Order: sequence, then structure tokens, then C-alpha cells
Amino acid sequence: MEKGEEGKMKKMTTSFFVVVFLCLFFVPASAQKAIPKAKLPVLTTSAGQSNDVMTVNIVLEEAGIGFDYCDVPDVDLLKAGVGLADKESGPGFHVEVYTDFSKFPKGTPYQTVIFAIGASLKGMGASGLTVDTEAARLKRLIDYCKQNKIFIIAVHVGGMALRGAPGSDNERMIDAVAPFADYLIVTKESNKDGRFTTIAKAKNTPLTEVDYALDLVEIMKQVFK
Amino acid sequence: MNPRKLRACFLLLALIGLLAAFFPSWRDRPVTSLDEEGFAQGCTVIMVGKGASTDGSTIATHTCDCGTCDWTWRHVPAADHKPGEMRRIYHINQYKTWPPEEGLKWDLYKRDFTGLEIPEVPHTYAYHHGMFGYMNDQQLAIGESTIGCVRKLHNPTPTPAFDITMLTLIAMERCRTAREAIQLMGSLAEKYGYGYNDHGEMLAVHDPNEVWVFEIVPVGPLWTPQSGKPGAVWCAQRVPDDHVSVCPNESRIGEIDLSNKDYFMASEHVVSFAIEQGLYDPGSGKPFSWKRAYSPAEGSATSTNGRRARMWRFFNIVAPSLKLSPETPNMDYPFSVKPDRKISVQDVMNMTRDRAQGTPFDRVKGMRGGPFGNPNYYATTRTICTPSVEYTTVTQCRGWLPAPIGGIVWLCFGLQDTSCYMPLYAGITDVPDSFKIGDHWIFNRESARWAFDYVDFHTQVVYSYALEEVKKAQAEWEAKTVAGIGEIDKQALERYNRSVEEGIGYLTGYCLTHADRVVKAWWKLGDDLLVKFNKISYYDPEKRTRDRNKPVYPDWWKKAIQIYDILLEPPEK
Repeated sequence: MEKGEEGKMKKMTTSFFVVVFLCLFFVPASAQKAIPKAKLPVLTTSAGQSNDVMTVNIVLEEAGIGFDYCDVPDVDLLKAGVGLADKESGPGFHVEVYTDFSKFPKGTPYQTVIFAIGASLKGMGASGLTVDTEAARLKRLIDYCKQNKIFIIAVHVGGMALRGAPGSDNERMIDAVAPFADYLIVTKESNKDGRFTTIAKAKNTPLTEVDYALDLVEIMKQVFK
Repeated sequence: MNPRKLRACFLLLALIGLLAAFFPSWRDRPVTSLDEEGFAQGCTVIMVGKGASTDGSTIATHTCDCGTCDWTWRHVPAADHKPGEMRRIYHINQYKTWPPEEGLKWDLYKRDFTGLEIPEVPHTYAYHHGMFGYMNDQQLAIGESTIGCVRKLHNPTPTPAFDITMLTLIAMERCRTAREAIQLMGSLAEKYGYGYNDHGEMLAVHDPNEVWVFEIVPVGPLWTPQSGKPGAVWCAQRVPDDHVSVCPNESRIGEIDLSNKDYFMASEHVVSFAIEQGLYDPGSGKPFSWKRAYSPAEGSATSTNGRRARMWRFFNIVAPSLKLSPETPNMDYPFSVKPDRKISVQDVMNMTRDRAQGTPFDRVKGMRGGPFGNPNYYATTRTICTPSVEYTTVTQCRGWLPAPIGGIVWLCFGLQDTSCYMPLYAGITDVPDSFKIGDHWIFNRESARWAFDYVDFHTQVVYSYALEEVKKAQAEWEAKTVAGIGEIDKQALERYNRSVEEGIGYLTGYCLTHADRVVKAWWKLGDDLLVKFNKISYYDPEKRTRDRNKPVYPDWWKKAIQIYDILLEPPEK
């Protein structure tokens, strides 16, 4: 081998190892920050019936993204698609429909579901749910999403103070949704203990940390661009 | 159809018809609207101006209605602070509790540090601390009621540093008057944000001279401190001195006149923010109304089948001459009224025991209370006295006395009708140890609250009879104390004038000893009730007899049983 070629090989080898090194050490980190793409139409719902889902709805509204919302949908309603089968709100059951029917006629299957994680005993009580029944409902929804390739976004904006101890209601809601999400968005305050980072790494799920709920507006714009 | 089945169906229909005819509320069971769901069923605040009270004091209540909350109390001592010291701000959830083995709530909430520290002041006042800060050694006092707000203004994100509990603690530490407290709480909430654990909240803020209603709401989840915009919107209205007012989980401030600074205060953007959020249309031709913009709560006592009866009931008690109708929408009730007669602190305590007796919303109307008129059996009406109460404060500020003697937190644990108010003077330097501990899930004989629950539990079976025994104890331990408080004031003042420490020491000793005696008396009362009404009979410990004819079951109850038996009698008989 000529000297020049030898030099080239050395450079290539060095470059290869540099790339491998970068992949090993930096790709997971960058993957955590990468913002994936999702498709419309989108349904928002709560995992735990806290007020956090209203934050998500306000974020989408601010981002100019039409959405449908139901606090306690089950698989039948998810299957019904856009318009949520014209269901009307009633005691312990809330529906709001803001999807643009000219783009997504009624009945169009949802391509994305956003779960706002946050347990509220008061909220679950108002909807006639317990932590167990709420966890079971979430499992049914997530199973359906997985079977039908519906993109799952899990959002936690509640902060550490609402997280609770291991086994708490809120932690159970995290367990029910976060490991199955295709994309995790959490406030830094919610992830002080690295709980969501651990889940994201274990499942190789993109994770975005934000300072404020306001930051979600730009993220949602990019996700649904 | 099988004749037996036919007859059974007929009887069933007859029973349903009978029940519907006898008990109209079964037909009129409230249809829960979305608005109803959002309506808080928590605490009641009653307010009395100094010109409306019998002795010239200002009075406010806080019925701490929760059902699962921490009921413990502590005393926070006064402190001096060096320049440069900082005060940490915590997120404090009204409803969060910890198992006793983990420690006391007042230490454990420090785990929820917001990251915000504000400069300390040179001196912080001492105060009594329950779920909120209640009264400091300057006679600044507070009572609370959740009022809710337009849902889009909720800010459950951790961005806002302040929630309502933390605001009351800072006010206690730093303020001498109601006006100072309102300005401080409002400005801190605007600067650092308000929300997270709380949304629409009302505080009765009072000092010896004035009673104010302070209401505050968050500004939505997208607020950031960097936005340069206020992180809260608030408003305050003073209760006229010769008036009384109430807050039963509903916003009370309507139209505001910010040019009248003696009666109104508000954040600068109070109107412009409502316009920006589409909550008020200045082109509507209607004046701006705080409650209609930020915390509208439609409905009346009648339209909600008594779920919102507290507003009507309060005005019905204090000013029956006004003949205010239970059909009047609650938002149309006056902010305050002049009472038909002046109100004493004992009157206020009695109001907290109200079950709407003798009104269309009486909780024992018809069969609801069972044979012994128990208002806890079937709660169709939300009354001021409600089983979810943790404790109740009646804060009283008396300007004619030095602040440590003038201010009193009258505190009773558990249900007011079976409990006893005990005084905690503003200047005392401790609270009884039995007030500092206990929770709902572990019975604890060292915890004062359990003594009162113990009595309450033993009144449930034969309520109307057992309550008479409780009333005797209340007459002995509460009414006599209220009536005799002037003598305690006098004794304390004499010592206080000789030496502040001596006066404070006397009061501390008195309050701790008195509370200890009351708690012991209530444990004994619980034992006595158990013995007396054991086996639902009447045992007389003195005569060592058992009267099988007592308690007497009312005739209507016996008839109801007969009717029920006839209706459900097996067909073969």
C-alpha cells in the first residue's frame, strides 16, 4: 500500500471511529431532542382526569391546530373518528370538536392521540372513575392505537409537586401511558428526577423537555407541520 | 304474565309512585350541568364588619371543608432576619397529605420548592398556621373559600410560583392590615404567577377595623414570568362596617368602582384582561362585573335543589326582613347586607352549625334523617355545617385591645354541631400538642381532632337524643368560655401592661390548658354517649337503669315501616 493510500485509510479509519463515537455518545441525546412528525387529525384526552388536558387544548388552539377532545373516551369513540360520533357533553363526560371537517370529514380515523398525564381524584370521581378503571381504560386505548398505528404523544406538564411518591395515582398514570408513547413532552420541572428520561431511553422514545407550557405551542406546530 | 310477577310489578310501581309523591326531591334530583360539576363544594366564609357585631369586633369564618385533608395546626414564631436572607417559596397543595410516620405537612411541603426565593423582610410576625395562615400577632386574620374561575384561565403548570396557601403565609409574616395583605398578595401573584394547585380563590382578609373580600384567579397555562405580563388577576372589595357578607364557594364581587379606594382594589389589568380573553364586551352596554367575567356561577338554591343553598340561607338567617327568595340567582344576591340585628361571635359559631333546619332545604325533611333526625344520613342540601369539615375557624379582631390579646382564633375540630370552639389568642406562642398531630386514617387518642370525631361518631345512631347531651357540653365548655372571655382579656391585659412577656405567657397557659380540658371533656363525652345509647337504648349511669322506651321512635317512622312492609309483603301471604 502506498503512503498516500495508507494515510487515506488512516484518515478513513479515524473518521469511522469518530462517527461511531459520535453515534454512541451523542445520537441518543440528540434523539431525545428530535421532534418527530405526526399526522392530523388529532384527539386529545386525559390520563388521570387532571386539568392538564386543558393546557394541551389551549396549546393546540394557540398553535392553530384543530383537534377533538374527550376527557374519557373509550375505544368505541376513538374508532368513531373525527367528530366523536356527534356525542354531546353530559355529567362526567366532556366532548369538544374543533377539527376542520373540510379537511377531515366526520368519521376520519384519528392519526394521533395526545394524552395529558395527570391524576386528579376529584376529576376521576366526577367522571365516575377510579385509578384502576382509568388505568384499564388507558390500556384499551393504547392497545387500539398500537394495533392501528395511531401516533401517541404523552404530555406531562404538572411538575414534580404533583408527581407524588412511587405508586401514587399520578405515577400510575405515567406508567399506563409514557412507556407506550411515540413521543414524550414534559416540563423540566416534571422530569427533575429523570423519570421520563429513563422511560425514553428504555423505549428509545423521542423526549422533549420544555421550560414552560408556552413552549409546547412551537413544538406542536413542528410536530403537525 | 304470571300473576305473582304481575302483582310484584304493580307493588313495585306503587312503591316508586309513593316515593315520588312523598318526596318531591327524588323527582327533582338535580341534573348536573357542566357548570355544576365545576362548582366547588368546599369552604364557607362568613364575614361581619365591626359595626355589625355586638362588641365592635370584626369576624370571619373558614369552615375547612375537605374530608381527606390535613387538619393539623402549628404556631410559627416571629423572627428577625439579616440583610440578604431569602424566603423560599413552596408549592403547597391544600389537599395533599402525608402518612404521619413521614412527618408533619408543614415540614414536608418543603420538598416542593418552586425554585423561587424572595428577599426576606427584617422582621416576620408570628402566626397560627392550619391549612392556611389564619391570624398573626398583629391581628391580621384570613378565611378562605374556593370560588373557581373560567376554565381556560386555570394554570395547573408549575410555572406560577404562588398558590393560595403560600400567599396567606407570606401575608401573615409581613402584614399588619388587611389592605397591606391584599396589596402584597396581589403584587406577588402578579409578579411570580398564581395558580398551580389552585385556581379561583376567595379570601376574607380582616383586621380590627376592616373586612375585605379578596378574589384572585390565574391567567391561563401559557403565562411565563418573562412575558412581562401579570401572572394573576385579582380584585378586592371591602365589606361596609355595618354589614355582613358570605362566600359559599361563589365569587361575590360584582361591579367595581376603582376610584373608590376605600372600598375597592384590583390589579391594573382587571378589566383589560377580561376584554382580551373575551370574557367581557365593553360594547355590550353592561358595566364590567368581576364575577360575571371571571367566575360566573349560574343557579340558585332552588334551581340546584339546595346544592347552592348556603347563599340564600346565610341572608335568610342574618336579614330575614329582606325576604330574599331562594329562587333568586345566587349571582344576583347583594354583596353584603346590614343584618336585622347585630351579630355576636357566638351567633357566628352557631351559624357554622346550620343545617337549614325548618327551611325547604332542611336536611332531615321527610325521611331523610331517619327516626332520630340525623342530618348526615341523606344529604340532599349543602348546608354550612357539612360532614366533610376538617375544622372551623372563627377569627375575631378586637381593636380596643393590644393585638396579641385582641385577636382570637376560635377553633373547633370536626363537625361543628358536635364540636366545641376553643380560643387561641393571637399572641400565644404555641398551640396544644394534640392540635399538631393526627390524620384521617389512623385513630389516635393523642390527636384532638379524634376526640371530636369520637363524639360525633357516637351521635350518629340516635342523633336527636345524643345531640342534646352534646349541647349540654357545649354550654359548659363553649358558651361559658365565650361569655367569660372578657375576664380572661382583663387578666391578660393587667399582666401585659406590667410586662408583655407576662401577658403573653398568661394567655398561652390559658389557651393550652383550656384546650386540654376541652379535649379531655370530649373524650369523656364520647365514652358517656357510648354507654348511654349502647344497644340503641337509654342507659342511665347514675340510676344504673336501662329505659327500653327510650329513645322513642316517632309515629311517622313506625307508619313508614308498616307501609313499606305492606308494599313488599310476599304475594303468597
